[in-house]
Formats: sequence, structure tokens, C-alpha cells
Amino acid sequence: MSADADKERRRWRNLLGMPARPRPVVGATPADVVHRENKWSLLRYRARPEGLAHATPVLLVPSLINRHYVLDLQPGKSIAEVLVARGHDVFIIDWGTPGPEDRFVDFDTVADRSIGRALRVAAQHSRRGKVHLLGYCLGGTLTVVHAAVRPERVASLTTLAAPVAFTDDGLLATWTRLPQFDVGALVDALGNVPWQIMQSAFQMLRPTLPLSKAAHVIDRAWDDEFLDGFFALETWGNDNVSFPGEAYRQYIEGLYRADGLVRETFALSGHPVRMGNIACPLLAVTFAHDTIVPEASAAPLLERVSSVDKERLHLPGGHVGAVVSRKALATLWPKISAWWAARDAD
Amino acid sequence: MMMGWDAFKKSFDVWEDATAKYLESWLRSPLVLGPGGAMLTAAMRTKSAVDGAVDTWWSTVGLPTRRDQERSLHALNQLQSRLMDLEETLADLRAQLPPQA
Repeated sequence: MSADADKERRRWRNLLGMPARPRPVVGATPADVVHRENKWSLLRYRARPEGLAHATPVLLVPSLINRHYVLDLQPGKSIAEVLVARGHDVFIIDWGTPGPEDRFVDFDTVADRSIGRALRVAAQHSRRGKVHLLGYCLGGTLTVVHAAVRPERVASLTTLAAPVAFTDDGLLATWTRLPQFDVGALVDALGNVPWQIMQSAFQMLRPTLPLSKAAHVIDRAWDDEFLDGFFALETWGNDNVSFPGEAYRQYIEGLYRADGLVRETFALSGHPVRMGNIACPLLAVTFAHDTIVPEASAAPLLERVSSVDKERLHLPGGHVGAVVSRKALATLWPKISAWWAARDAD
Repeated sequence: MMMGWDAFKKSFDVWEDATAKYLESWLRSPLVLGPGGAMLTAAMRTKSAVDGAVDTWWSTVGLPTRRDQERSLHALNQLQSRLMDLEETLADLRAQLPPQA
């Protein structure tokens, strides 16, 4: 059988067998829950058998509206797995699913109390009493806000596609600045902002994406490895959580509309948030084809911090693909791991 | 078969790219965004008004409203967090004490 004919056979076999395809295994790297509070929990990945290679633990903070397992997608395609294999003591926040009562959860609770507690728990396992803090997307914004006000336990800060400036002309920023959009009315009526509303806003960024994905799947249906990764990512992409109402109101009004981080009008637990207060080593990763967090929204962090040791990685790729792809696992994450390793002691 | 699919995929990609760009410019238009935002806000205000009326009726018969229950649960969650704060403070203080003979 020729290679082309074999490819066709596999394509049809996979397309016809798609409804019966087993659900992808996600978030499978062994981890223990070391702290639980309200809906969020702190997970600690089990160390590799030969033990830890680095003294400073790592705390991963994912976006508030996505499941944490994007950073632990599938065995063999997991960021957590890569970091554990390189000898890091890895903690991750699982934000959980907010209940109706969490409509009152505000930015102070999330960015100060929760991240603060997670840092303190993780720091108990650090001889330095400090932790490498990494935030992805909105999780990055949360870590910036936290590190600017409570720098004590932050050994270094790594942001991945984290928005800090909100005056870009992206569709999301344009939509949230719309005077006809009353964020207070939305939160008062719905409490937590349903993930369906958030997801439809993201779909507006590329309305043809579902069709494009379908064509791409048919095109690559012969490739089992591609299909496994695709369905794992789709599982994650469709497993979103609602945004706690009060935190959403502050996010839109205080950060998006007022551009509160750049203009220094935003406050955390009564303390002004000034990015200039961040003096720890900083690694900011931005992506060239990121339509959710454009470069213009993520890059200003580097100009604002007072860190002497700061570095920027600007990479090709989009908001999710560039973080979880096989290429990212082979290049980006080893780079981040080496950057942490070089800053393992004060 | 394969060649037919490849040709279709190429033209699909061109169409998809052009359509996405057109839709993006259309969605950015104030003519679409303005009425969209206004409709969403109106719908939310209507929902709040209806919920408010139901809550008022519920309160008149002496029963807690949905919002009352949410507030109580939130207060319990806050209490739990504050207890954890106190436990942390106590543990820190204990760690500073000299070891007992």
C-alpha cells in the first residue's frame, strides 16, 4: 500500500471512528492537594524519583476563567511534567468553579488573599522562603498585581501573555470600553459572569474559527497524535469557568476602562498597585500572533518595573498554541526552567 | 480524492481568511458594537428589575431571598479564610517561641 493510500485509510478510519474515540486524559501528572479554601485549591506535583534539583519552588497561576490543566494537558504534552522532570518543586492553583455566592468575590480576595496564601504554603518548602511565581494570561495580571504590593515571597516573576496595559485596539478592549456596555448591570443581573458570555467574546475574535478547526481536523485526521492533542485542547477550551462577579466588575472598570495598572489608579487591599515596585528578576513572554493578549498589552510591564534583572522573550505563535505545543515543551519551557535555575539562590 | 481535498482546503483557507477579516472589521464597527452593548445592557436591567420584584415579594412573606442566601454563604467563606489567617499567625508566633524545656 502506498504512503498516500495508507494516509487516506487512516484519515477515514479516524473520521468515522471519531464519535467512539476515547475521551482524552487531561491533567494526569500526579499531584496532591496541599491546601483548599472556598473553591480554589493548591496542588503540588509529586517530585521525580531522583528528587528535587532546585531549592526554590515554582508556583503556577493560571487564568481565573480557565481550568488549570492547560499547564498539564496530556502525558507527554504537559508543562507540569516537563518542569517536574527537570527537578522543580511545582505548585499550581486550581481556581475551581465559583458558586452563586462567589459573585461577591473581588480582586482583593483573588490577587491578595488567595495568591498570598498559595505563596506562603509553597514558601514553606523553600529554604529561601521565596517562590518563583509564574502567571499565564489573566493569571499573569494577578501575579503582577500581587508582586507589586506583596513582593516579600516572590523570588522571581514570569509572565506569559499577561495583559497589563489595556488601551490596545484589540476587539476585546474595544468591546469593554464601549459606553453602551454597562458592566454593573451585567454583574447585578447575573452575579458571576457566565463562561458562555466570556467564550462568545473570545469567539468574536475569529468568528470563522469553528469552521477552520473542522477543516483542519479533516485535513490532519490521519495523524493520531495530532487528534489526541487537538481533542485534549478542545476539552480544555470548552471546560471554562464563570468569572466571579465583583472581580469581573473591577477587572473591566479598574483595569480595562481606567487602564489602572499603567495609570497607577488600581489598588489592592487599599494599597496602590505600582508596577515600579516590582524589583525581583522578571521574565516576560509575549507572542507575536496573540489576538487575545496583543503584544502591546503585555510588553509595557518591562518598561515599568524597576527590576535590574529583566528579560523578554518574544516568540511566534498564538495565545495557547505557543504555550502548550510540542515545540514550546521542547524550547520555551526548558528556557524558563533554566532561567529559574540560574536564579535559585539570592 | 487526495488532490480534490487539497484543492478544496487551499480555497477554503483563502475564503476563511478573507471572511474572518471582513467579519472582524464588521464586528468592530460602532454600528454593530453600539446596539449590541445597548441590547445586552437593556436585557440585564430587565432581568434585575424582574429579580428585584420577585425578591420583594419573597421578603414580604418573611423568607430569605436568593441574594440573602448568597450573602450568608459568602460571609461563611470569608470567616473560613479569616480563621486560616489566624491559624497562620498562630503558627508563626509558635515558631518564634523558644523550645520548651
